[in-house]
Amino acid sequence: MSKDLNMKVNVLPVTTYNFLHVNDGRLEIKDVELQKIASSNKAGIPSGVTLKENVSFDEAGEIFRENKERILALKEEMVSPNCETAKRDESQSIRTGMGADVDKLFLENNISCDVYTVEKNVKVAEPIVLRQDLEDGATGMSSQVIHAKKGSEVTVIMAYSSERSASGFLGVSTRLLADEDATINLVKVQLLGDGYVHFDDIGGACLRGGKINLTTLELGGKEAFNGAYINLSEKEAALSSNLGYLSRDDHSLDMNYVADQRGKKTEASMQFKGVLMGTAKKTLRDTLDFKTGSSGSVGDEQEDALLLSENVVNRTMPIILCQEEDVEGRHGATIGQLGEDLLFYMQTRGIDEEEAKRIMIKARLESVARLIPDQEIRQLAIYYIQQIV
Amino acid sequence: MSDNKQMVADIDHSLYDFKDIENEKDFYRMEEGLTRETVLKVSEEKNDPEWMRDFRLECLKLYNEIQMPNWGPSIEGLDMDKISSYVRHKSDMKGKWEDVPEDIKNTFEKLGIPQAERESLAGVGAQYDSELVYHNVKDEVAAQGVIYTDLESALRSEYADMIKSHFMKLVPPTDHKFAALHGAVWSGGSFVYVPKNVKVEIPLQSYFRLNAAGAGQFEHTLIIVDEGADLHFIEGCSAPKYNVANLHAGCVELYVAKNARLRYSTIENWSKNMYNLNTKRALVEENGIMEWVSGSFGSHTSYLYPMTILKGNGSKMEFTGITFAGKGQNLDTGAKVVHQGERTSSVINTKSISKDGGIGTYRSSVTIQSTAKKAKASVSCDSLMLDSISRADTIPGMDIRTSDADVGHEAKIGRISDEAIFYLMSRGISEEDAKAMIVSGFANPVSKELPLEYAVEMNNLIKLEMSGNG
Repeated sequence: MSKDLNMKVNVLPVTTYNFLHVNDGRLEIKDVELQKIASSNKAGIPSGVTLKENVSFDEAGEIFRENKERILALKEEMVSPNCETAKRDESQSIRTGMGADVDKLFLENNISCDVYTVEKNVKVAEPIVLRQDLEDGATGMSSQVIHAKKGSEVTVIMAYSSERSASGFLGVSTRLLADEDATINLVKVQLLGDGYVHFDDIGGACLRGGKINLTTLELGGKEAFNGAYINLSEKEAALSSNLGYLSRDDHSLDMNYVADQRGKKTEASMQFKGVLMGTAKKTLRDTLDFKTGSSGSVGDEQEDALLLSENVVNRTMPIILCQEEDVEGRHGATIGQLGEDLLFYMQTRGIDEEEAKRIMIKARLESVARLIPDQEIRQLAIYYIQQIV
Repeated sequence: MSDNKQMVADIDHSLYDFKDIENEKDFYRMEEGLTRETVLKVSEEKNDPEWMRDFRLECLKLYNEIQMPNWGPSIEGLDMDKISSYVRHKSDMKGKWEDVPEDIKNTFEKLGIPQAERESLAGVGAQYDSELVYHNVKDEVAAQGVIYTDLESALRSEYADMIKSHFMKLVPPTDHKFAALHGAVWSGGSFVYVPKNVKVEIPLQSYFRLNAAGAGQFEHTLIIVDEGADLHFIEGCSAPKYNVANLHAGCVELYVAKNARLRYSTIENWSKNMYNLNTKRALVEENGIMEWVSGSFGSHTSYLYPMTILKGNGSKMEFTGITFAGKGQNLDTGAKVVHQGERTSSVINTKSISKDGGIGTYRSSVTIQSTAKKAKASVSCDSLMLDSISRADTIPGMDIRTSDADVGHEAKIGRISDEAIFYLMSRGISEEDAKAMIVSGFANPVSKELPLEYAVEMNNLIKLEMSGNG
């Protein structure tokens, strides 16, 4: 049965001026079939990892509810920041970047979830590669929970692709739990066609010494939404996120990244590198939230946005929230076109402006693509970038 | 060995916290609440021209229609039914200091205003509750054609048309709920006109004192700096503390013409029962320069984001601000800038200190429209946390609609670094002294932008206090 979607997503952790139009994003799509889309996994499930398929979305969230007290623990009562929006997402088993409306969509449409569990102290050598190579007109959703138990490590690569001219709808929800000293490396590569609407929603938590490393390439799709909310719940938990994006023609990209730093000595690094062309619109919300008790924590968010057309719209909302004295939070953004000095340097070496632009687009995006640990997917991404530039 | 210690003390309001009893014989106070009748009464008190009376009523309608903001600090404690919109002394405004009523004169003497006028100002306006009580401009400045008067007088002068064509055009009453409120009950404030190519060498100052409990102050400041002219305008504000909420919803509209320059400095030290919902906006024409210097120390709750519209090609804006949020304060401050013209540039540089449970929020927006080719914008906001019961939040926004622009942003939140304290201690300075010195240095980029006597006042506010016994 087809449905019309109208969802409020990527809600800013604290609201601000309405005229900036950044307080939330709106995902609207008409007449879309909502069914589970399966992923192909050629290499199978490595040893030390168990896969439970077709678990209900709600049941798959149980692991987060069981750990709720640890995930959301606060040293002392907090003074809330002005106009915070946390209540909106309280129904979620684990808060995600795009928020409660995505969970509701999965629950209401009975889209089941695949649960990957990595056993204690197992370091999985080869990545798990989940591919969704979609046809023109495909619509559907998929959901995963990845639970790395104490001392384990796993890399999961998820790649979504289609023909460049294809249209369709793909929604993905991925929830992560890194137990004590466990590491989850999650790589998402989005190479969908120019008519696709796509969302990718991530929520996660790291317990003591747990780490989540996100590598994301958002390159395709007419409308793309991407969000991640990671709880660094306990001591020495860490998040490292590298996101590369390209938005062109009349495409739009809407993002919301939050590092919720609760434990002592947590570390968060969020790096965004992107290119806007044509009449593309991009909104990036990125938040470091130092909660009470996060003493000794550090956080860094950096954006480098290259604007290559007169008519792009670039909205950036870098937020630092802080109720802890002993922390260091930094934000930096550089937004603009290629610097005249750089262009001059290149021209003196016989490289014209157009070629210089191509080189800089490739440099930005390929620096993220090179982090993909699977050669086939890496080359697919690099080929996609080269085709566009 | 001396046990004296320095510490970073909370803001010292005692200088401002004296109360003068306002009796019925000398003061007229309008009943609390906001109705059509109260608005008409204010209009009648002001002897408004007809267009202004109609404008007030239209603003009241808008106030009742517009929702409370869905962002920023809570203003639930503000009940307009308990606020008197208009309180005035029964005497008229004076042009000579000795003619000002004794009780009011004492207040301003304690605040040092007459001394400042004698020593370092080109003109002074002093507002007490809802009305200007004193306005004077030095003869040599008046001789240059500079107009500095109360807005009500200007409304009935040869400048009436100029006021009508500028009043609440930059900040329309539709802007937000408290702009509409201001339009309905505004009273007092100053009008400044600096003619073409006139450079006013020393600053003009307006000082606003809200002495009455449970009252609102809604002064309107309108400044027009004509082509090639130059002005530094200083505003100061304070109030004694009461247990009931007071409201300040002033409005400042600044017009900076081609090649003109305006510096607007504010030291805001309202008492901690004040809701400071003030709106300030500047429009800058070709090659004009707008400079804001802003120190926010007082108020229970503040929404304050001076906005600059860089309309003309080559126009520039610089905002330097500091906010000190102490116990019981929720100060949401920052700046907004809109780049419209080509080669426009803006620099925002702010410092925020949070202490004793205070909430300091830096909030800003930088908008670069598609017409603003070769625009440059730079934002730097630093926050210092002095304990873990306070909050320091940074919420900047950028909306960029042309590739031909260069935008840089950096923000830092942290505490006083151990390395800096260690460095100073290794040179024989105690830990407390080292902390006090670092906070002073943190505030220095703002204090150095102020005239000396105001820098001293600001440093007194961020008092590096000597305690008798360690």
